[in-house]
Amino acid sequence: MDWQALALSVKLSLMTLVFLLPIGIFFGRWLAYRRFIGKSLLQTVLALPLVLPPTVLGYYLLVLFSPNQGLGLWLANNFGTTLVFNFEGLVLASIIFNLPFAIQPMQRAFASIPSEIREAAACCGMRPSTVLWKIELPLAWPGIVSAMVMCFAHTLGEFGIVLMVGGNIPAETQTIAISIYDSVQSFDDQSASIMSFSLLMFSMLTISFTYWLSERSSHTHV
Amino acid sequence: MSDSSIHINLQQQQPIPLQVELQCKSGELLALVGPSGSGKTTVLRAIAGLYQPQTGHIECQGEVWQHSSQQIFRQAYQRHVGLVFQNYALFPHMTVLENIQQALTDIPQSQRREQAFELLKKVHLDGLEQRYPKKLSGGQQQRVAVARALARRPKVLLLDEPFSAVDQVTRRKLYRELLSLRQSLAMPIILVTHDLEESTLLADRIALLHKGEVLQTGTPEYVSAHPHTATVARLMDQQNLFTAQILEHNASTQTTRLRWRGVELQASYQPQFPVNTKVCWMIQSANVLLHRRDRPSNGDKENPLQGTIIEYLESNGLSQLLIEVDAELKVNIALNVPLHVGKRNKLRENEKIGISLLTEGIHLMPYQSLRRET
Amino acid sequence: MKKLYLAILLLTFNHLALAAEIPVIAAAASVKFALQDIAQEFTRDTSKKVRISYSSSGNLTRQIQQGGPFEMFLSANSHYIDQLYQQHKTLDQGVIYALGRLVLLTHKNSKIQLDENLAGVKQALQDGQLKRFAIANPIHAPYGVAGKEVLHSLGLWELSRPNLVLGENIAQAAQFTSSGAAQAGLISYSLALAPVLKNRTQFILLPANLHQPLQQSMVLLNKAGETSKLFFNYLQQAKARNILSRYGYSAP
Repeated sequence: MDWQALALSVKLSLMTLVFLLPIGIFFGRWLAYRRFIGKSLLQTVLALPLVLPPTVLGYYLLVLFSPNQGLGLWLANNFGTTLVFNFEGLVLASIIFNLPFAIQPMQRAFASIPSEIREAAACCGMRPSTVLWKIELPLAWPGIVSAMVMCFAHTLGEFGIVLMVGGNIPAETQTIAISIYDSVQSFDDQSASIMSFSLLMFSMLTISFTYWLSERSSHTHV
Repeated sequence: MSDSSIHINLQQQQPIPLQVELQCKSGELLALVGPSGSGKTTVLRAIAGLYQPQTGHIECQGEVWQHSSQQIFRQAYQRHVGLVFQNYALFPHMTVLENIQQALTDIPQSQRREQAFELLKKVHLDGLEQRYPKKLSGGQQQRVAVARALARRPKVLLLDEPFSAVDQVTRRKLYRELLSLRQSLAMPIILVTHDLEESTLLADRIALLHKGEVLQTGTPEYVSAHPHTATVARLMDQQNLFTAQILEHNASTQTTRLRWRGVELQASYQPQFPVNTKVCWMIQSANVLLHRRDRPSNGDKENPLQGTIIEYLESNGLSQLLIEVDAELKVNIALNVPLHVGKRNKLRENEKIGISLLTEGIHLMPYQSLRRET
Repeated sequence: MKKLYLAILLLTFNHLALAAEIPVIAAAASVKFALQDIAQEFTRDTSKKVRISYSSSGNLTRQIQQGGPFEMFLSANSHYIDQLYQQHKTLDQGVIYALGRLVLLTHKNSKIQLDENLAGVKQALQDGQLKRFAIANPIHAPYGVAGKEVLHSLGLWELSRPNLVLGENIAQAAQFTSSGAAQAGLISYSLALAPVLKNRTQFILLPANLHQPLQQSMVLLNKAGETSKLFFNYLQQAKARNILSRYGYSAP
């Protein structure tokens, strides 16, 4: 068991969540509540990672952030950093790749709150930020949690994008999925099988938890 | 403008047409009545600040809530409105007490619990403070919604068909409670309903809404007896609505003569309608007199008609009759008599009977086609 | 909730600070086992650590070009290092530290005959015994290029082409062969000598004149720090050379 790779994977997943929680809530709410021109286009773009091959996304990220030109060059000159072949680049790639897994369940959760309840909250004198905090978030919480759990599990297993944008750098971009790949190539079947089995078990736990949560939330609603 | 009332003026073409001008004084209960789709809920939401019409001027107890020409529009949470939603919209993840406390943000934290209890008592729900909304009956939920609306110390109380989701028995109970609660409320109350009977029972004044336009306001009795147009009459559920032609106005006798299906009728003097033009007219059931064999009266002489009883129904202590009148074309007139009268006169279907249309009761309105509107 | 957030942020930055200390070295997959042993000795001798990222030489070259954090590069040929030198990514032109060799590898129980001119392979291709033949991808792996050259030299390229399965790097090609997914493969000598493979495979060393010399080269990159420079020198000293020869590398 490659503990370093596992720790790295866990850190990557958690960092991704730190960003995806506010992003998911923002877009989930916006798409749930409002109708506007270009809404379907936005929804399509945000759902792309569901069907887009990871290598395509990886390719575009490489093109965008390669420090030899464009944005990558600007970053290198002004901040001395890059967003390829390092942990930060992976976090960025992971955030983009998980957008639909975060946004869609949250959108559903917010959409299932009857608009009258939010209006009643306004009539009680609550300003919009209070309505979000006291009414919307508690009611949407099961959906938000299950979105976060899915993103965590999904990030843990990311492979194609990590390989393309992160490379295989121990303690930097060598996630547990890469480590399994590495072990196979090193003829270390024992490590490979231990890590694979652990990930399998973890994935099962995640899915069960998500289903359990959605069962529960269907009872607490009006 | 008077300070303790609410003044509402809304104008809009798209997407929902609105042409509304209303006033409601403090302590007065105004019912917004109309069929579904007439815009009643939209008006209520506009008053609450949940909907912004194109042009509007809303002023309540001296505060300007909307003034389009001055670009003023106060958001719902900035207005002190109490709104009771049709489905109550209670917060499902909070107890009854917590629901009410959400509206008590104006008073200091320490006093909130006590205030909430007071309000619960006012709506007769003490003892239920720890319950969650899904464990309450419809009537109980409605009371919580009312308590929460009142907790806001609103400048106007708005009720959106608050009784439509409960059964008859509970409804009657809630009517009584609302009426008694009213005594202690020093604010205008606006009730939206499609139920005419409910509006007659509860309201001081009604405003009749049709396709976004306020057609007439007044006391329920007045609007019922003196509808401005045939549309209003129909919306007030008047069954005896017909067309006729003016024959003559006689100022000395204070009567107006009409020709109706080959029959001449005498109505009260209403000279605003030119002679020889067509008009619509109506008469309330209460102003149609039955010729009683056992007890003839003077009223029998006014506009007497002969006919056959084609429908006889007993309900609610009344005998409801539909008479087919012998005239040029068959036409039906509806009237009610007390049940005992019906029984004593042995009224039943196919009986030949005489009726009189009281002169004072014939109310004239501008002509419009009475074809059934889809 | 906010506390959880802060904790996660702190953890990550902490991790990043630590990681920055240990240099990253890019190394061709073929030198994996040898280099791992050398790195262990290096740490034992100097108490300094290195992190090594293995992939095909072509792949690593690309990553270096795109700004990867590597401080040193061990390539399976000198061509890629020349390229990087032209692109000003390196401190100098680098050195050739060893010569690599190619072997024909089959599973221990395989019936395919092992011989230097691949007559057994030819036979197996013709009678259908050899269905999949593994080499590294010639596009970005030097050992793949060498494999292709060998097949051309022996006139077997056209015959074997439909049966070729390309490993993403030489290690993957070796893995295909050792697992039996490919019945035979052209693999680096260094990998064939690795202890893990000894038990399950058999091989024969192929004559060096069948392919262009596999000049194993290494170079310090622009980002090279103290530790990397130390390691670079260490690799040219006696201990490292012994380990390299144990894995079949000959002196340049």
